[in-house]
Amino acid sequence: MSDRLGTSFFSPRRAGIIALSTVTQLVRMKVFYFLAPIALLFVGLQFFDVFWYEGPEASQPQQELMMHKNLCLGTMMLFSSLFAIVSTALLIPGDIEDRTLYTILCKPVPRLDYLVGKLLGVISVIFVAMLVMDILMVVTLHYRTQAVSAELGEYLGAIGWGEEEVRQGQAEVVSHGPSLILQYGVLAHFFKASIIAAVALLISTFSTSTLFTIASSVMIWIIGAVQSLAREGLFTKGEYGVEPGMVDRILGTIISLVFPDFQLFESVSDGAARAMEIGVFDMLHLGGLTFFYIAIYTVLSWFVFSDKEF
Amino acid sequence: MSEVPAVQVNRLVKDFKGSFRGGGIRAVDEVSLSIAPGEVYGLIGPNGSGKSTTMKAVLGLVKPTAGSCAIFGRDSSKVDSRMEVGFLPENPYFYKHLSAAETVSFYGKLCGMRGAALKARVNEMLELVGLEEARHRRLRGFSKGMLQRIGLAQALVQDPRLVVLDEPTAGVDPTGSRQIRDLILDLKGRGITVFLCSHLLEQVQEICDRVGIIHRGKMVNEGNLEELTSMQDRTEIILQDAPPELLEQIRNLVDQANKGELVSEGHPRSSLESLFLKETIEAESKQKAVSVK
Repeated sequence: MSDRLGTSFFSPRRAGIIALSTVTQLVRMKVFYFLAPIALLFVGLQFFDVFWYEGPEASQPQQELMMHKNLCLGTMMLFSSLFAIVSTALLIPGDIEDRTLYTILCKPVPRLDYLVGKLLGVISVIFVAMLVMDILMVVTLHYRTQAVSAELGEYLGAIGWGEEEVRQGQAEVVSHGPSLILQYGVLAHFFKASIIAAVALLISTFSTSTLFTIASSVMIWIIGAVQSLAREGLFTKGEYGVEPGMVDRILGTIISLVFPDFQLFESVSDGAARAMEIGVFDMLHLGGLTFFYIAIYTVLSWFVFSDKEF
Repeated sequence: MSEVPAVQVNRLVKDFKGSFRGGGIRAVDEVSLSIAPGEVYGLIGPNGSGKSTTMKAVLGLVKPTAGSCAIFGRDSSKVDSRMEVGFLPENPYFYKHLSAAETVSFYGKLCGMRGAALKARVNEMLELVGLEEARHRRLRGFSKGMLQRIGLAQALVQDPRLVVLDEPTAGVDPTGSRQIRDLILDLKGRGITVFLCSHLLEQVQEICDRVGIIHRGKMVNEGNLEELTSMQDRTEIILQDAPPELLEQIRNLVDQANKGELVSEGHPRSSLESLFLKETIEAESKQKAVSVK
């Protein structure tokens, strides 16, 4: 009657079915309504001047564009990270509470398929949401760049700068507009949100409540953001040249192994906002690190979930 | 070679850990049962007696502390054993954002079905449970009875050889309950093995071939329903068109009567409910006696 799926260790197709169902669930929960206020914010940024910006005569007119990018990327980071935590924390405990999980696991569905499917579903929705926000950011930034460039050109011309100098000044402004580097910043936030979703997935496999999952995931998010600072303090010589002790070293190693280092992702995003040079190799490295973190957390989730009783 | 049982539970034990101060509980204690293919088996017992835990162990949702469970000869902790099983939990909830057809289709896809075969099977299942007209309605607005029926449709979507039903008529009105009962009888007619637990003893009596009575985690009685409910120390004589004088004679000396027609002779039955109460009360008093000693 049917070309039935095997019940092997892992079936990408079955994981895909669960991922698609998760996407449908989140879409029908109207999560994309969050994008409306974000769109308003991005458009509103067009009419918002930074307090230190004093018009085209200021030494760095691109500051305004940097502020625009920082606010957009910051909003994207906040939205994607919170969305990753809340949606992942709600989905699995929700399935357990509703006993929907019983009916799913009583079909020939390996638990790894279920976990990977749920995670892929959340990551897919984050990807679509970030794509929409990215398009909004690029469009609004494009118009803002045009406006600042034109304003600067007029001002420099009025104070007697030469055509070439004006063009150079405008080129400097345009280099802070939409670019591939900026996309790297968006990608870094997407990677980060994906890791956070994997962390929330791990916590939700042993947590007894949604609140605990959300609180713990937020905690790990914060630790991940500051762990490089903590590691620096533990591994390097202290103020008085004191070598870190064995306990400090062990603690530092555990922290760096257990918690993801989000500072790496933040630095790429900061660099993108400042239009600094970011190489393809750096992004490949970041992508590899993301894959590593997600794989580790998913395998840990599987270890916990495979023995879980319902 | 004897036929492989649809369900085989061997000396199943399930302990649940307590808090730090101890107080662990043995939910299932050395339970064994065997269900033949095509049989309708009812597991009955009071709340907290271990029915659902036994069922969950059969479905691989809990790990046995000791003993084993198998479905058609395959270890039920293995995923592939579930290819032959459909499960309807008590008061099922499904994804409320999906419609009836999408729900059945989702579970069909999980079993590896797709394309025209899946579409045809979804239609067939919705027709079977009488929900064709609600096929595009989201489950959010479904009544308990409708949810139970969609639950049955998803349980049957991959054409399983075994259907496990946990309180299939819980919270369903008498009409819905009757429909579900008829569906179970239909499954029985099609040779599908049914393993159910229910509190509705009359319904169990009506549809089950065999029953097991579980109390405080132990199987206190098990067997063919007719045998279990028959009262061996009594004889029942059913007479048709017997005149009053014959009845009088029978009352005086039945074996000397030569009028009227003796239609049948057999063993009168108590209700399953009486048996259930008797077994559980007896087990309770035995346990009390042991603890007093």
